[in-house]
Amino acid sequence: MKPERQKLASGAFIIFCLNIMNALVALLTSYYAYKANRFVSSSVLWAISIGFMLLGIGLVIDAGTSLISGRTLVDITGRTAGESFSDRVLTLLASLTYLTLQMVAYLVIAIGYARSTYGRPPSAAAAAPAAVVGATLLSLYSFSILSYFVTVILLAFVVFQGLLLRSGHAGKLSGMVLLAFALIFAAHCVLLVSVLVLGSGLFLIGAAVQFLGFLSLLIFVVRSEVVGPG
Amino acid sequence: MAQGEKQRSVLRINLDILNAVRDEGEAKPTHILYRANLSHERLVKYLDDLTAKGLIEMKQEGENRTYSLTPKGVSFLIEMRHAESFVQGFGLAI
Repeated sequence: MKPERQKLASGAFIIFCLNIMNALVALLTSYYAYKANRFVSSSVLWAISIGFMLLGIGLVIDAGTSLISGRTLVDITGRTAGESFSDRVLTLLASLTYLTLQMVAYLVIAIGYARSTYGRPPSAAAAAPAAVVGATLLSLYSFSILSYFVTVILLAFVVFQGLLLRSGHAGKLSGMVLLAFALIFAAHCVLLVSVLVLGSGLFLIGAAVQFLGFLSLLIFVVRSEVVGPG
Repeated sequence: MAQGEKQRSVLRINLDILNAVRDEGEAKPTHILYRANLSHERLVKYLDDLTAKGLIEMKQEGENRTYSLTPKGVSFLIEMRHAESFVQGFGLAI
């Protein structure tokens, strides 16, 4: 294997491992939100359950794409040489599905938080699906940038709403959820820049920060099962 | 409801009653009334609901009436404890 191709494959393998672990945490969070929602009928919990389920599915798709193609999303966006047409179409479709699911997932979570705070989603959050439809008409590069940009905006909104809600009902574990969303937000800022400049190293850094966010979420989920309410 | 004291949800009131019953073991209605901070009329309604759901059971000995948790009530409280912890993590309250 050529050194450049070996480097691509090792980067893709790291993304595969991180995304699989992130997906497991996302699906676990979705399950616990669903379980809690059976007792407490809350639009936020419903949104968290659906949102993290979509995110988990998206992460599994991206992990599978990285493993099969041996390339990360940035590599798929930036390089097309040495690949058959069918492989190119499949990786494009998988990447588009992942980016769309990720955007819709954070949109659902943001709407859930908005409904909890304002009673209805703000117009900015409601306008996001229109941006998604419009973006599908663009190339993968443009779509990736737009997708990460919308995701960053939605995550900024989620972190802001999380801060507002935390000031009202500060449980002893709420800081960990806020930290998780803040890290995922920071990760997506880095991922957005990495897609803009097609930087593979930066993409790996973003993925690692995102993993730390999901790790914080995992610690919260485990502790909420062991420790009682604060 | 955003400002000042928030009104308790039905679930919160039920939890307060169940916690009171659990702490007392066999709780008299007056003790539950005090712990759950309810009027007598509302307490009777909530106790009837919880008894009908099989979460608590009533024992009558002459004039004395006591309530205790059923096994279903105990497992409900454990599940609720986890759910409440999870919900609080996302900045919400029951």
